[in-house]
Amino acid sequence: MKNSIIVLISFFSFWVSSAQTTISGTVTDKSGNAISGANVFLEGTYDGASTTDEGSFFFETLETGTQTLVISALAYERHYELGEVGYLKNLNIVMIEAINQLNGVTLTAGTFEAGDNSKVSVLKPLDIVTTAGALADVVGALQTLPGTTTVNEDGRLFVRGGGAEETQVFIDGIRVFQPFFSTAQDIPTRSRFSPMLFKGITFSTGGYSAEYGQALSSVLLMNTTDVPDQEKTDVGVLSVGAQLAHTKIWGNESLSLNTQYINLAPYETLIPSTQGMRWNRPFESFGGEAVFRSKGERSIFKLYTGFNHSNLDIDQEDINFDDFVRFRLNNNNLYFNSSYKFYLENDWIINTGASISWDANDIGFMENDIDNNETAGHVKLKVKKLFSNRFSLNVGTELFNVDYEETFTSPDGFRFESGFDDALWASFIEGDIFFSNDFTLKLGGRLENTSVLNEFSFSPRLSLAYKSGEFSQFSMAYGDFYQNPIRDVLKFDQSLVSERTSHYIFNYQYLNNGKTFRAEAYYKDYANLVKFNTEFPQFGSDFNNDGSGYAAGLDIFWRDNKSFKNLDYWVSYSYLDTERNYRNFLDSATPNFAPRHNFSLVTKYWADKLRSQIGLTYQFGSGRPYDNPNTPEFMAERTKPFNNLSFNWAYLIDQQKILFFSIGNALGINNINNYQYTNAPNVDGLFERRAIRPAADSFFFVGFFWTLSDDNKSNQLDNL
Amino acid sequence: MKVKILSLVLLTSVCMVAQDQYTKGMTKALSLWGEGKIVEASNLFERIAMAEEDNWIPYYYVAQVNTVASFGEKDERKLTQQLDRAKEFVDIAKRLSPNNPELLVQEANINMAWMAYDGATYGPMLSGKNMQLYKQALQLAPENPRVVYSKANWEMGAARYFGKDTAPYCKDVERALELFATFENDTPFYPRWGEDQAKAVLEQCKG
Repeated sequence: MKNSIIVLISFFSFWVSSAQTTISGTVTDKSGNAISGANVFLEGTYDGASTTDEGSFFFETLETGTQTLVISALAYERHYELGEVGYLKNLNIVMIEAINQLNGVTLTAGTFEAGDNSKVSVLKPLDIVTTAGALADVVGALQTLPGTTTVNEDGRLFVRGGGAEETQVFIDGIRVFQPFFSTAQDIPTRSRFSPMLFKGITFSTGGYSAEYGQALSSVLLMNTTDVPDQEKTDVGVLSVGAQLAHTKIWGNESLSLNTQYINLAPYETLIPSTQGMRWNRPFESFGGEAVFRSKGERSIFKLYTGFNHSNLDIDQEDINFDDFVRFRLNNNNLYFNSSYKFYLENDWIINTGASISWDANDIGFMENDIDNNETAGHVKLKVKKLFSNRFSLNVGTELFNVDYEETFTSPDGFRFESGFDDALWASFIEGDIFFSNDFTLKLGGRLENTSVLNEFSFSPRLSLAYKSGEFSQFSMAYGDFYQNPIRDVLKFDQSLVSERTSHYIFNYQYLNNGKTFRAEAYYKDYANLVKFNTEFPQFGSDFNNDGSGYAAGLDIFWRDNKSFKNLDYWVSYSYLDTERNYRNFLDSATPNFAPRHNFSLVTKYWADKLRSQIGLTYQFGSGRPYDNPNTPEFMAERTKPFNNLSFNWAYLIDQQKILFFSIGNALGINNINNYQYTNAPNVDGLFERRAIRPAADSFFFVGFFWTLSDDNKSNQLDNL
Repeated sequence: MKVKILSLVLLTSVCMVAQDQYTKGMTKALSLWGEGKIVEASNLFERIAMAEEDNWIPYYYVAQVNTVASFGEKDERKLTQQLDRAKEFVDIAKRLSPNNPELLVQEANINMAWMAYDGATYGPMLSGKNMQLYKQALQLAPENPRVVYSKANWEMGAARYFGKDTAPYCKDVERALELFATFENDTPFYPRWGEDQAKAVLEQCKG
């Protein structure tokens, strides 16, 4: 024992008395440029220095023996030199640039992001709720982006020549089966979600990751907030209803609740909608959403749930009937979505999740009664491994189950039942390779098996991006996409195959100091589209997969929030050339939902003196195709162009109270969406028609929002 | 027995050497910062942090040096690098010392730097977060002068914007100044800033 102490003491004194050793060298990047401000030090000690403007460093140490010299500099990978201190002299260190999310290249072909990550975000979360005309609907705000077409009477997303059912919605990576409220024909719907519960939204207009399938055109990915900012209660009184929200935080757990009651009756009494319809009982809905989150040291668990009941009773004009046609709807929807993310040692990340939804519609159409029920579920397991910051791999498998049943009963007692069951299994694998900060590639594939069609499909996906300058980059994407025929077809015929499309996308992006410019050209090739020989899919229709089509176009986006003080604006333009032969089309033609030119201008001005945010949105769509049976050509005529100017004003009464006012179509422009022709010609041999117009040209909205929080500081401007 | 005493003496002397080195290093880093050598100061604090491993104080200073340097920074890339580094180090410090009010205030200051750079973008995104941080800090340490001052200063800004009376917050600043006079913490290099800022704010109140 004594001996060892003596050894220790002698070692100690040796250490104290030993001479200092000098460590020196220079630090440069690959091209030989000096790196200044790098931190150079011996690991585990205080001994070190910062490099000078010439990239050189110099320091002395009392350490001896083999040591690790660490060189760390922002934007470069950490460099280690192992050696005897005496040899760590006049070193020439060449640093390798770190793969960097911030300044590096990103895959942008086909993708719009709305989130806090300013690098890739085209929209901020706030934009969703402050866009005039969007009325706090997530989808309403996305309709001002290029690649979408304005289909005024529908309310859902129509992307690049695709129908609304070609877009799928996911929350935390898990599918949402009924993202929109049930509604009547020609009465626009809106999405079910409250924007305040989400932190980031990715809207892909094509060429998306192998992780997602069953969407021919587009996916909308929404992520719920991990940790809410603060506890608060929000109260809203609206001209069409009321809402109440509350957030509670306990350490790592939190719960947000949001309930809403909407009733159009008082509004309709004051300003009745009269164009082609009359309400027997205006749209009424009540429902709520809740998100529970639990954050552990290495894990996050989230449970999202939504319930909604809605009903309406409407009489609508129909050219083939003397009287208005009655439509009644009663919808109940319950949805659960849970996800769990776990960060394992060694850079493995496990993601699992499941969702289940029950949706029931009780529909009265004229004297007929239609009941339908859909029970659907999704289970997913995904594993991600970060091999290095240059390569990561995503592997996953998932199962979708849909059970759909419909009963049709006519007043004479005729009953017809239809439906289907589908179990769809899919697996995907995808790798991300960063060759450098200037070049990255994502390559993957997706294998699917659908039981209802008894079919296997494989879809390759590829996207790559090249950074051409400090602020600019090119991106490309290619992918094959499969989707089961729509529900209304599948319930009658299950001998079909999946519809298919291929996307080819080429994107240029310029991003500098609050200015974003994007131009994207694309081509989409559709195959195996479902055709049938009746006006609507019905029992006895003759179905086949002989349809096909294409869509080609150019999308332009420009956003600038720096050039004018307090003014933020964006401009979108989409050129769309598309034709398809599908459904009951006689020939290949441009469908009614695909106008050739679409233009949006969104402006937001913050008037400091008025403590107000004033927004104006202008939307234009060129004439929409329709078929005039009085002419021999098919779908050859065009409606007059669509124009809409919306206005909103949010006034901050004080820190907690906001008064909000908005008008949709402020100029009262008379828009026509389509024409309906009689089934049979009149005595003069002519098919008569009626214009399909919005139920009312303009729409007014007034709301008062009050936030109660401990600090009396927050308001709901970010919820509007 | 002798052996034990000897080893004890030896151990303390080693500790003292270590302690001394820490004091020396921190003093050096603070003086570099005082000379305006931001990068050198940040690098030295970082070296100390790495060597000390479980002491939150040097991590705190890495965050603070980079945050303070970010106020008034116009180059977005540099600002982002500095504030990301500040956030990274404050996050590590929070793991080493959970429920530490000084770290919550530091985190709020990082958010303030973002808001100072671009209020329209970051204000709505981060103001709720900051209020929660101040609230949490005040719950943990109602007598900490930096917490009281920072919260009051923040609330005063909002009140001024909405044309409201700032008097209640001036009172809080006064109280913070009283607390500054009596606040004590034995930890070496424990944060000490704030008194001068609070005095300046109080001047504005009176003016």
